[in-house]
Amino acid sequence: MLSGVTFAVEPGEAVALVGPNGAGKSTLLDGLLGLVPHDAERFDVPTGPGAIGMLPQSTTTDAAFPISLEQVVMQGRTARLGLRWPGRADREAVAAALDTVRLAAHRKARFGDLSGGQQRRGLLARAIAGEPALLLLDEPFNGLDASSRQSLLDAIERLKAAGVALVVTTHDLELARAVCERTLLIDREQIAFDVTGCVLTLEQVRKTFEHHAIEIDGHTLATAEHHAAEHGHEHDTHREHGARDDVDPRAADRR
Amino acid sequence: MLDLVTPFQLPFMLRPLVLLLVLAVAAGTVGTVVNLRRLEFASDGLTHAVFPGLVVGFIVAGAAGVLPGALVAAVVAALILVVVARRTGTETGVAIVLTACFSLGVVLVSLRSEWAGQMESFFFGSLLTVTDAQLGISVAIVALAVAAVVVTWRWQVLRAFDEHAARVARVPVRVTDVVANVAIALVVVAASAAVGTLLVLAVLIVPAAASRALTRRVVPGAIVATGIAAVASWLGMSLAFAASSAGVQASPSSIVALTMLAAYLVALAGGALRDGAIARRATA
Repeated sequence: MLSGVTFAVEPGEAVALVGPNGAGKSTLLDGLLGLVPHDAERFDVPTGPGAIGMLPQSTTTDAAFPISLEQVVMQGRTARLGLRWPGRADREAVAAALDTVRLAAHRKARFGDLSGGQQRRGLLARAIAGEPALLLLDEPFNGLDASSRQSLLDAIERLKAAGVALVVTTHDLELARAVCERTLLIDREQIAFDVTGCVLTLEQVRKTFEHHAIEIDGHTLATAEHHAAEHGHEHDTHREHGARDDVDPRAADRR
Repeated sequence: MLDLVTPFQLPFMLRPLVLLLVLAVAAGTVGTVVNLRRLEFASDGLTHAVFPGLVVGFIVAGAAGVLPGALVAAVVAALILVVVARRTGTETGVAIVLTACFSLGVVLVSLRSEWAGQMESFFFGSLLTVTDAQLGISVAIVALAVAAVVVTWRWQVLRAFDEHAARVARVPVRVTDVVANVAIALVVVAASAAVGTLLVLAVLIVPAAASRALTRRVVPGAIVATGIAAVASWLGMSLAFAASSAGVQASPSSIVALTMLAAYLVALAGGALRDGAIARRATA
């Protein structure tokens, strides 16, 4: 359950959705998609086929599935196509989406043969291919190598320039600061929604993450979930070590 | 040398060949969905679910009741399997449906000793006694199943690849599942009286699996699976005729099933050789 959330995303703007594990981030995204029920007083999302695109947090696809990257990206046109087969406009949208994520050279490769980072970018291209007005990215940076991360950041900037509204969930507060104009901080309920710099203050982050906030490499305030995702540790170990005490106030002020 | 032409000038050989060639199209389309969705065990469940329907139909209306009985049983079982798969997400439900239906069928058959022969034709069919009327009905039912899968093809593939993405794309996932299961059920019904459940299962599972070893895309895979099923059926029927001419009485449908399995082994070997060649080229 998630309650008391009020926020808006403008075209060409990215809103970071930040909160600890179990805060309701994925639930909020599924609610926006209409996949889980909600009783919002005011609920205004783009409607129409393909109006909302989604990059899910994890996809458990069969690596041996006989399908090319291009065909996976074409799946993003399904909402627009219904049962029809793709035409020229669909192929052009797919080509443009592959260009946006810099994967055009791999379009004929079997999806399961791509690296993890390339697959994530391919799934982003699938979300883009539907030409959405609103794009939901659930932990897009998890498990990405540096080059894939940069491609993704570039892609987000290009999408914003094209007037797409984005909601990006992330544990990586540096990335939230880098690409998101505003930030929605939640933990079962709304903590704050404002310009990213005003939301991601030490006090707010500490309050939201309580036992989750930690310092990494002596200079970056991050969250235990992000650390766990990046470094493969169990997030419980940070809890046992009393991670809260590790927060460095100077790091939090650095933006 | 194996005679591939003259045996089929005999009507009792031509009719089953036509049926098998039509089933080859189902092997490419419905069979590919079975392969992508990993519905092999559910298909097995459906072949067994048909059994009590066949028997009840026979009890109620004699030979004319067999097909309607099987049709009702198969569609009901297909819908049950969709619900069971949704609820449990495991194969336990399928196993329970399978054993329940099969036990029921066996009990019904054992009520009268003269029905015991039905058991054998249930497993192995009676390919050589297919009539023109049976052939017509079977072809119509298979065509319906193939059409349902072809129309929903892109939904079926997306559903098989990534269910969440299908939901995001507003694909009616439940409808897609019902279409897939009912299509399998229709193929099972159309074919089991003639070719037996064993060969129906082989047709639905083996050519698509063989094609998967040779191809890397869904649509070419479906076409290759159709080709494998057609060639294996033709060869199998010719082999069965040659064997019977030589005085070896073996069920033609099990010979066709074995031919398909042989094609599968050849495809596996071919796929392994090709992958090895690609790997060598990559390292060279």
